[in-house]
Amino acid sequence: MLTTGPAKKVTVYVMEGQKYHGMACYAAVLDYLFFRGISDATVTRGVAGFGTDHKLHTSRLVELADQMPMKIEFVESTERVEEVLPKLTEIAAHGLIDVQDTTVINPAADKKRPQPAPAKLQSTAKIMRILIGEQDRWQDKPLHQALVQALRANDIAGVTVYRGILGYGANRRMHKDSALSHDAPMLLTVVDTEEKLRAFFPVLDQMVKQGLVVMSDAEVIKYSHAALLPEKEEKP
Amino acid sequence: MKLEGKAKMLRIHFGEDDTWKGRPLYEAIVERCRELDIAGATVLRGIEGYGASTIIRRRHLLSFSADAPILVQVIDTDENIQRLLPALDEMVSEGLIAISEVEVIKYVHQHGQHPQK
Repeated sequence: MLTTGPAKKVTVYVMEGQKYHGMACYAAVLDYLFFRGISDATVTRGVAGFGTDHKLHTSRLVELADQMPMKIEFVESTERVEEVLPKLTEIAAHGLIDVQDTTVINPAADKKRPQPAPAKLQSTAKIMRILIGEQDRWQDKPLHQALVQALRANDIAGVTVYRGILGYGANRRMHKDSALSHDAPMLLTVVDTEEKLRAFFPVLDQMVKQGLVVMSDAEVIKYSHAALLPEKEEKP
Repeated sequence: MKLEGKAKMLRIHFGEDDTWKGRPLYEAIVERCRELDIAGATVLRGIEGYGASTIIRRRHLLSFSADAPILVQVIDTDENIQRLLPALDEMVSEGLIAISEVEVIKYVHQHGQHPQK
């Protein structure tokens, strides 16, 4: 686990098309770091650059567009960095690897996040179904997408969007999904406590201009996600 | 058409290859719902499943004979759902029909934009 204070920042430069045991070099590096338990790593795809071969790689040329420079960066403690460097040197044999001293101000650990823990769902909850059309829009955006964003922004526990193949609703118009029309019926199922769902109604009212919204009882059997687990273990 | 307060949700599960008088069963059911003035129906296609016949239904890419699981969902008043049941009894020979309670939060349509039946 990364802590506040001095650390090392490692940058690995490879070419996009470079392979390591049949897989892309950058992916191999990333996989290795991931399964080695490195705190975080970021891959950036360059738009132009050149390496030791002194060939200019640019995205302006279509045939060379898969030969972009890739940069993999990660920050770790000195010991961890020394541990992974030999393997990295092997994977990115043709690339440049550099290590810099850095200072960690805020280790991006899950428990440090100021955001409140996601809603704990009790065993009784509500399931809300929103039936709309694929063509429905809200502020230049497909309505189903806008709804998902609105639900997320309102901290609703979860939503799933289904695309139907046939249906009709309030306006008696038949919605049919076909290669040409893209007018499928859409079903969103939302699960959370009754209180939170009711608090969302005003937003819903404003966004759904035609459609059907119904709510029914649900029993929550399981609601967990990985980030919650370590926290739970610490509690007892 | 008005729909408010307590209502029922009827869900019918069967396979995409099921037919009624030579056409897809789900199409026939939606048509029948419209004839019976049911508030609405939605057909969803699943990607994998099994049911009464315990045959795993799975949709394969590029496969034309894919018997995917189909779910038809109908929401209306108890009265209207009961009216639909005899028709379904006749049409759905293999599958599952389940009814549950729902509360209608919102049922709106834009007047004028599409002609009302």
